[in-house]
Amino acid sequence: MSRRSALRTAVLLVLAAALAVTVAACGSSKSKSSGTTSTTSAGGQKSFANFRVTWDAPDYLDPGLSYTVAGWQIMWNVYEGLLGYKHAAGAEGATLIPYLAEKLPTITNGGKTYKFKLRPNLKYSSGKAVKASDFACTIERDFKMDSPGVGFFGNIVGVGGSNGFATTKKGHIKGIVTDDSAGTITINFTQPESDYQNILATQFAAFVPCGTKASDQSTKGIGKDAATGPYMITAYTPSRSFTIVRNPHYNGQIPDIPAGNPDKLTGQIITDQTAAMETVLQGHSDYDFIPIPNDRLQNIQSQHSDQLKIYTSANTYYYFLNTRTPPFDKLQVRQAVNYAIDRNTALPKIFGGLARPAQNILPPTYPQYEKLSPYSYNLTKAKQLVSASGDKGTKVTVWADSTPPSSDLGQYLAGQLSKIGFNANVKTLSHQVYFTTIGNQSTKAQVGFTDWYQDYPSPIDWFDVLFNGNRITQTHNNNVGNSDFPEVNNLIEKLKKEPISPSVNKQWAHVDELLVQKYAAAAPYANRTSTDFFSPQMDLSCYINHVLYQFDFSTICMK
Amino acid sequence: MATNTQSEFPAAAAAFAPAEGEPQKTIAGRSPWYLAWRRLRRNYVALSFLALFILIVACCLCAPLYSRYVADTGPNDGNLSGTITENGKKIPVVSTGHVNANGTFKVGGIPVGPQLFAAGGKYFLGADTQGRDIAVRLLYGGLTSLLIGIGSAVICTLVALILSLLAAYYGGSMDWVISRFYDIIWAFPVLLLAIALGTALALNGLHAGPINIEAGSLWIPTLIISYVLIPYIGRPLRGQLLSLREKEFVEAGVAQGASPVRIMFVEMLPNVASTVLVFFTLIIANNILTEAALSFLGAGVQPPHASWGNLIADGEKLIVSDPWFALAPGIALVLTVLSLNVFGDGLRDALDPRSTVKLEH
Repeated sequence: MSRRSALRTAVLLVLAAALAVTVAACGSSKSKSSGTTSTTSAGGQKSFANFRVTWDAPDYLDPGLSYTVAGWQIMWNVYEGLLGYKHAAGAEGATLIPYLAEKLPTITNGGKTYKFKLRPNLKYSSGKAVKASDFACTIERDFKMDSPGVGFFGNIVGVGGSNGFATTKKGHIKGIVTDDSAGTITINFTQPESDYQNILATQFAAFVPCGTKASDQSTKGIGKDAATGPYMITAYTPSRSFTIVRNPHYNGQIPDIPAGNPDKLTGQIITDQTAAMETVLQGHSDYDFIPIPNDRLQNIQSQHSDQLKIYTSANTYYYFLNTRTPPFDKLQVRQAVNYAIDRNTALPKIFGGLARPAQNILPPTYPQYEKLSPYSYNLTKAKQLVSASGDKGTKVTVWADSTPPSSDLGQYLAGQLSKIGFNANVKTLSHQVYFTTIGNQSTKAQVGFTDWYQDYPSPIDWFDVLFNGNRITQTHNNNVGNSDFPEVNNLIEKLKKEPISPSVNKQWAHVDELLVQKYAAAAPYANRTSTDFFSPQMDLSCYINHVLYQFDFSTICMK
Repeated sequence: MATNTQSEFPAAAAAFAPAEGEPQKTIAGRSPWYLAWRRLRRNYVALSFLALFILIVACCLCAPLYSRYVADTGPNDGNLSGTITENGKKIPVVSTGHVNANGTFKVGGIPVGPQLFAAGGKYFLGADTQGRDIAVRLLYGGLTSLLIGIGSAVICTLVALILSLLAAYYGGSMDWVISRFYDIIWAFPVLLLAIALGTALALNGLHAGPINIEAGSLWIPTLIISYVLIPYIGRPLRGQLLSLREKEFVEAGVAQGASPVRIMFVEMLPNVASTVLVFFTLIIANNILTEAALSFLGAGVQPPHASWGNLIADGEKLIVSDPWFALAPGIALVLTVLSLNVFGDGLRDALDPRSTVKLEH
């Protein structure tokens, strides 16, 4: 064989090999599935091997720090507390049930003392036994880390005051008394409040073992060692991926929650809406957490309607107005912002029509909701208010995160602020660091995008967390607007102690009115409807959208 | 000249003397610049692309006129609630949607597509998700991209030239320091370094001593791009200048007592002027591309201000339903960079056809 023909033959062989590999890869990706079809276990559940999901970027996967839907929706099947919620759709999902506790608490001392007993033989995913003292360690860890959830535990005896644990971060919280041998936990509060059980069902109260470092452990194995739920997180690379598998030491230790259908969750983190949707369309993922982009919704609705679920959770989208920084320290300017935004026509378009105009802080699903409409879209009035405030021409920075619709909402507000006389520009941040950045007082964020999805179905979760001046913190501040109006603060503190009744509901509605109308503490504009998009392999008859945690991945099954 | 030739080289003069009856031809001297211009004007391809570049610049400069008299809207003026009249019919600039009580929904938020002349010139290329006119933003974006590209090229070339002159003339430790400065910047991938600097400065601006540049200013991407591309002109220039430093005319200047500044700028600089001119032209194209890349990634021009890069990023989200949103700035970018590169190559061929010095990447 001549040298030239040998070379030609070699090239042809290489090309043929490359072609074969390409064909094999194409074939394998098309036939790639998330696992075998589901099998029905003895308990009647439909387990399957691998559930591939495309997820948004969580802020953390540490129960002491995470405070986003993306984080909690993963973690509520991983880290469990004394109490939790039924894994059910609709209003039934808001029912509190005992998780690590044997039963709901015994409440004494005028609603100020809560006593629990742990279930026997509880274990973490590491095999370590769950102890009663772990609860105290969990709450103390929250304070040491300046967790965004510390405000929930401010009424525990020994937390507040100049010598309290919240200030000193030394010693132990006096109000939490535990007995490891008896498995009992007694929590003493300084005053009664109607939402303590809900608070104990949040992720901030999910048990972690004593000795867990008081710093972000998202990537340091906390998910592998400290899980008490049916699943554990074995791998997490921020902005990239995570892996969740069954907790080998769970053994059904919380009988009233499902053991879960998927054996494994393989998650890829993609914040781009189109790219996330394409992972499902191309067969690389079984579930897309991120809402479908507006321009593809029509197509998805018409061609893949059986794979699409839309739902409206209890949420409010609003612009925060920092009352500590000029020009938003002036009422006139805050009112001007409310007049400058077109809630009825313009803003819903940014959500692709999947939003309902709103001027209330509370979503309409709440019994405390009374519709407010004090602000009509009126640029002329807005300009007059700005002129009267003397702040015309002031430089204003609108904060937004980089993912839609936040980036569009930020640009919209900047445009409107420019129209009414401000020198506005937009600062966009990565979604992953956005809320921690605007929640840091040193940022001095003037105005920007934020939203709130309920932690639990109580107006306290809205007004106390977001607008009570007594809950302002230096970092991880949820009261991003630094709303601090004594009339509102006092009313919130009073109503927190009251059990729900029609007259109390009316007073909560009055708090809403004060914040929106009298003080213009924020500029609410929408309650959003979202989408869940699944691959054709998924059996949506098993789909549960939980009232607090949205899509429950533990209950989904495969055809 | 002819007289000198006759007296010094009578045989040659006789050979080239006109024949009987033929008029005496005067051989006039031509400067290298004239010769270069003559070569360039015969390069029709290069001149065509120069004309294309000038056309693009002219269009971008007309952005305020287009915005005011044709589109009747500014580059950052959102119009979510607005409507246009298309062939006598009123349609929303961005469609309205809603959720029905039974859980079905009508999709909204879709911006109007290219209208061309159907809406009286408004929304010629359609609208974006904020209801802004894409054609207006395209022109203003071009203005921004060209400003940053040309501005950063000027700064980059000037700084590289001065540093290279200093390094070549003084040599020794001066050359060592400047070469290490080039090497340090050169060691980083250009785009990664630019992204890192852009991201850091985009949030808080640049506040260093007397320099106070607010975040969002166009000076931020301009200075960043100038800085990261200094070695790409500086290194080849330094090499050329180093060889010039050894030439006799420089030695003669030194011997005559000429000041270093005079020697650098009067003796050495003119000999690299053609190289600098070629590099300048080519680096503009490079800088426009770098700016587009930075803005696409969110580390360059910040919203709501338009540049071709961030327009492509915005259009990427609608690439399936409204491809013109991304294609228009992409095509504008390609044509601009192509025209500069082709003209730059033609200019290099014209100024020094034997040149082997190239812009390194």
